[in-house]
Amino acid sequence: MGFQKFARGTVAMALVMGAAAAAQAEPLKIALVETLSGPQASTGLLYRDAVKYQIGKINEAGGFGGEPVELLEFDNQGGPVGAADRVRAAISEGADVILQGSSSAVAGQVTEDVRKHNLRNAGDEVLYINLGGEAMELTGSKCHYYHFRTSPNAAIRVNTLLDGMNEAGVLGDNVYAMNQNYSWGVDVQDNTVAASDRLGFTVVEQTLHDVNKIQDFSPYVQRVQAAGADTVITGNWSNDLLLLMKAASGAGLDVRFGTAFLDQPGNIGNAGSVAEGHFLSAPFNPEVNPEETAAFMEDYKSVTGHYPSYVEPTTVFGMMLLQAALEEVEPTEDGLNAADLAVALENATAETPMGTIAMRGADHQAILPMIVQEVSKDAQYKADDTELGFVPIKVISAADAEQPVQDSCEMKRPG
Amino acid sequence: MDQILFALLNGTIYGLLLFMVSAGLTLIFGMMGVLNFAHASFYMLGAYFAYTLQPLTGFWLAIILAPVLVMGVGILVERFILRHVHEHGHAHELLVTFGLSVVIAEMIKMVYGKFAVDYRVPAELNFAAFTLSGIDYPFYRLFMGGIAVVMFIAIYLLLTKTRVGIVVRSAIYRPQMVEALGHNVPMVFMGVFGIGAALAGLAGAVAGAFYTTNPNMALELGVMVFVVVVVGGLGSMGGAMAASLLIGITNSLAVGSDFRIADLLTWIGMGGWAEEIGGMLTMRMSSLAATLPFFIMLLVLVLRPSGLMGEKE
Repeated sequence: MGFQKFARGTVAMALVMGAAAAAQAEPLKIALVETLSGPQASTGLLYRDAVKYQIGKINEAGGFGGEPVELLEFDNQGGPVGAADRVRAAISEGADVILQGSSSAVAGQVTEDVRKHNLRNAGDEVLYINLGGEAMELTGSKCHYYHFRTSPNAAIRVNTLLDGMNEAGVLGDNVYAMNQNYSWGVDVQDNTVAASDRLGFTVVEQTLHDVNKIQDFSPYVQRVQAAGADTVITGNWSNDLLLLMKAASGAGLDVRFGTAFLDQPGNIGNAGSVAEGHFLSAPFNPEVNPEETAAFMEDYKSVTGHYPSYVEPTTVFGMMLLQAALEEVEPTEDGLNAADLAVALENATAETPMGTIAMRGADHQAILPMIVQEVSKDAQYKADDTELGFVPIKVISAADAEQPVQDSCEMKRPG
Repeated sequence: MDQILFALLNGTIYGLLLFMVSAGLTLIFGMMGVLNFAHASFYMLGAYFAYTLQPLTGFWLAIILAPVLVMGVGILVERFILRHVHEHGHAHELLVTFGLSVVIAEMIKMVYGKFAVDYRVPAELNFAAFTLSGIDYPFYRLFMGGIAVVMFIAIYLLLTKTRVGIVVRSAIYRPQMVEALGHNVPMVFMGVFGIGAALAGLAGAVAGAFYTTNPNMALELGVMVFVVVVVGGLGSMGGAMAASLLIGITNSLAVGSDFRIADLLTWIGMGGWAEEIGGMLTMRMSSLAATLPFFIMLLVLVLRPSGLMGEKE
C-alpha cells in the first residue's frame, strides 16, 4: 500500500511540475557545432571556451526570457560531413541558434544546411552565427538572411594588413602571395592582387599549395627568393604558417611576413626569434585601450584559466552582438522566434574593449576595428611564455576597415 | 642551374628524412608481417622525449637518449600488447596498433597541450652550411641527411654482414626452423620491433627540432611514410630508400615547376581548347605537388603491386 501511495504521489507531482514548466517559456538553446576532437580540435576548443565565457555573462545578466540560456555542444570532427550530421542533430534537439567558427570549408556546409532547413521549415527557422569562417563567398554568393558573420573576412584582413604595413613603411615594392589552395587562401590571394594598384606594389608571384600536407617548405622558399620578394602575404595557418616561416629563416631569406593567423597559440613559442618583425592583422590586441582591455583579459583568465588569444576575443565580441540582439527580442510562447532575432541582430551593435562593433544589414558581415600588429620584444603581454608578443602598430577603426558589400550577395528577405 | 641544384638537394634531404621514419616500419613489416599503424607515433614520441630531455641533458644527449626511451616503449608494446594479439591474426594487430596511435596522440595532448611546443634547433647548429645565389643552406638539413645515410649503412651492414642479421633475416622466412635451431624467435621479434621504434624515435628527435613538434606530427608524416613503404615494396629496406628519394625529389621539383597540361597540348595545337576547359588542364604543377606521391603510389600499385623492390605481394 505504502508503495502505491508513494507512486501515485510522485506521478501527480511530476504532472504538476510538467505543467509548471510548460507555462514558462522554453529556455533558449544555442548549439555549438565545432571540431572538439581530432587533429584540428585545438582551435575548436578555443571557440568553446570563448562561447562558454560569454554565455556565462548572458546568464549572469538574466539569460533570455527569465531562463538561463542553454549551450549544447556538438562535435563536427573537423569535416563538412560531420558538420552536416551534427547540424541536423542540433536542430532536432531544439537549437534555435547554431554557432561554428573553424574552417571556411565547414562553414560553407553549415550555412547551406541552415539555409535549406529554413526554406523547408518556414516559421521554425534557425540562425547560423559564423564566428570565424572568413572566406568571401559566405557573405557573397552563399549569403542568406539567416547567416551572420561576426569575424572579419578575407578582404578586411588583407586590406587592413596591407594598409598598416604600407603606412609603417615595411611593405616593400615586391609582394609574394603564398596561400593554401581552398576558398580562404584563394580569397587572400585575390585581395592581395586587387590591392596592388591602390598601394602601388607589384605582386611578383602567386602560389597556392596543398593545405596542411607539406612538411618541407624549402622549395617554396626558393621560389620566393627567386622572385625577389620583399614581403610575403599569406593567409596560412597552423603548421603551414610555422613551417613556411621557419624554412624562410633557415634559408637566411630577408623577407617580412604579413599574416592573418600568426597569433595562434604555440606559433610564437615554436618559431621563437624567427617570428620577430613579422606582421599580423587581427580584431584584438591586449595593448589597445589598456584599461578596459586589461579588465577583460583578467576576467577572461579568471573564468577560463588563460588569457584570451587568437579566435577567442573575436568570438566573445561576436557573442556580445548576439547578447545585444537577444535583449531586443521578446520571448514568445515557444521560446525564441528566430526571425525576430534575425531582425534584431541585423541592427545590433556592441561595445567591446576594442571599440564599437556592428552588424551590417546588407550582407550580415560584422564591421569591426582591426589592429595591425608586429611581433616584438617590447610587447606587454608575451605570447607562449617567450620574450615576444604583439605590439599594436596601427588601430584601424571599424569604418576604415569596412569593405564594400559584394555584388554576388543577393539576400532574400522574408516577407 | 642553381635552382635545380637546390631543388635536388632539398628533395634528397627530405627523402632521407622520410627514409629514417619508414626504415623502421618496413623492417617491422618484413620481419613480423605487422603493418604498424602506430609507427609514426614513435616518431612523435621521439620528438617529445627529446624536447623534454633537452633542458636537462643538453641537445646531444637528448637525441641519443630519446630513441632509447622510444625503444623501451616499443619493446613494451611488442611484449605486452602485440604478442597477445598475434595469434588472432593480422586484422587484430592492425586494429590494436591503430588504437595505440590514437591513445598516444591523446596522451601527448594531455601532457604537453594541444599546440606546438618550442623544441628548436640549438643555436650552435643553427648556421648556414653554404650560400648559393643568395640562399643560405641550413647546416642542420645536411646534418639530418647525414644521420639518415649513416643509419641506412648501419642497418644494411647489420642485416647482411653479421650473425644477428642472418638470424633476423631467416626468422622472417622460416620462423619455425629458426626456433628449432635454438634461437629465441619471440626475443628476436621483440628486438626488431624495439629497434624499428628507436629508428623512428631518432628521426623524430632530430626532425622535430627542425620542423615542428606538435600533437599532429604523427598524422602529418604517417600517411607519407605509408606511401613510401608501399611504393618501395613492403619489407624492402633498399626499396624504402629508393621510394623516399623518389618522392622527396619529385615533390621538390614539382613545387618549382609551372608546368600545365595545357602547355603540353599547345604543342599539338589544342592549347586554346585546353584553356577553355580549364580545371585539371590549367592547374599548375606546383599546386599539385603534395598530391604527386599519391599519384606515384597509384601508378606503382597498378603496374607493380609488390612495390619497386618488394618481394611480398
